[in-house]
Amino acid sequence: MSQSTLSKHFIFNEKLNSDYLFSLYADDYPYIEEVFSVTLQHFDEDADAIQNAYAAGSVADLKKGVHKMKPAFGFVGLTDIQQCCAEFEDACGRIAETAELKADYKQLMATLDEGKLILEAEYRKLKDFNANSL
Amino acid sequence: MNLKCVIVEDLQVAADYLAKCCEKCGQIEVQAHFTNVPDALVYLNQHAVDLLFLDVEMPGATGFELLDQLAYFPKVVLTTSKSEYAYDAFEYKVTDFLKKPFTYQRFLESLQKLTAGAPEGNVANGTATDHIFIKSEGKLVRLNNDDILYIESMGDYVKFVTGDKKFITHNTIKNLEEKVNRQCFIKVHRSYIINITKIDDIRENDLFIKGNEIPISKAHRGEVMKRLNII
Repeated sequence: MSQSTLSKHFIFNEKLNSDYLFSLYADDYPYIEEVFSVTLQHFDEDADAIQNAYAAGSVADLKKGVHKMKPAFGFVGLTDIQQCCAEFEDACGRIAETAELKADYKQLMATLDEGKLILEAEYRKLKDFNANSL
Repeated sequence: MNLKCVIVEDLQVAADYLAKCCEKCGQIEVQAHFTNVPDALVYLNQHAVDLLFLDVEMPGATGFELLDQLAYFPKVVLTTSKSEYAYDAFEYKVTDFLKKPFTYQRFLESLQKLTAGAPEGNVANGTATDHIFIKSEGKLVRLNNDDILYIESMGDYVKFVTGDKKFITHNTIKNLEEKVNRQCFIKVHRSYIINITKIDDIRENDLFIKGNEIPISKAHRGEVMKRLNII
């Protein structure tokens, strides 16, 4: 996490905010791999919590679920998705029933799915990179 | 200075990152990590720590609810992804507010705030002197710990009750929790701090000190009972 030497040897997918990742971890690629791994391990559970909240019609739980996932996307450099989560969370604060967010919810879940695919691919690439760098 | 801390955070990746920052700085020792408030409370009421890294929104209860139920007041750094808690953070006198994700540099700035003006030694023990000075009726009055029976909240004021006198001063119970010697004093209710050596008897949810009946809240009862020399 030292910021003194920013040697960008690994080229991240353009959808990841690589500058932001470097601001957090510099070139500590093994640690970034760990961050990706931990995030993926909890991804489905957290996404399920959002889906369950929506299905149950609970705006409060929906907001909580999105609130929890939001910073996780920041930690893995998916800052655009982090922003989507922030906007959805704000929208939850303005509605009384989940049905009012039907279109936004569908869009959010599609975005989360896309984020997971990107993250899985980047994790595999990074794992190979780290294994070959040792 | 080495601060003993506990991380209360439901996002695993955030807790791991925080623990890594603590390890890297070499000044903060992470004692435990909890993902929910009830588990954290059980641990914290048995193990006094100097510092809490505390998320706000967690399953079951919020970080602020944890602070309300804690029997002492460690230094607190809130870790959240929302800025809207800034006012509450100020009200609870937290030392800093880290918006997730944060850089290591930002973490170090927080550490600076934590250590600025901190006394050497274990800050979880509170002030270790045998007396305090309070402002009362335009002068500074020395009160020996052993003379104080209890301290009672009166809104923006508190009342120090000794065996033969009462002193009213502008302060709060929350603030005094940090200032008094925790070997002698314990918070038993949101409105009362008592001198634990002065308890005459305890009946159900009240304790008695020289004829004064003082309520024990449910949140503080466990800690009070632990501190008593029950044989």
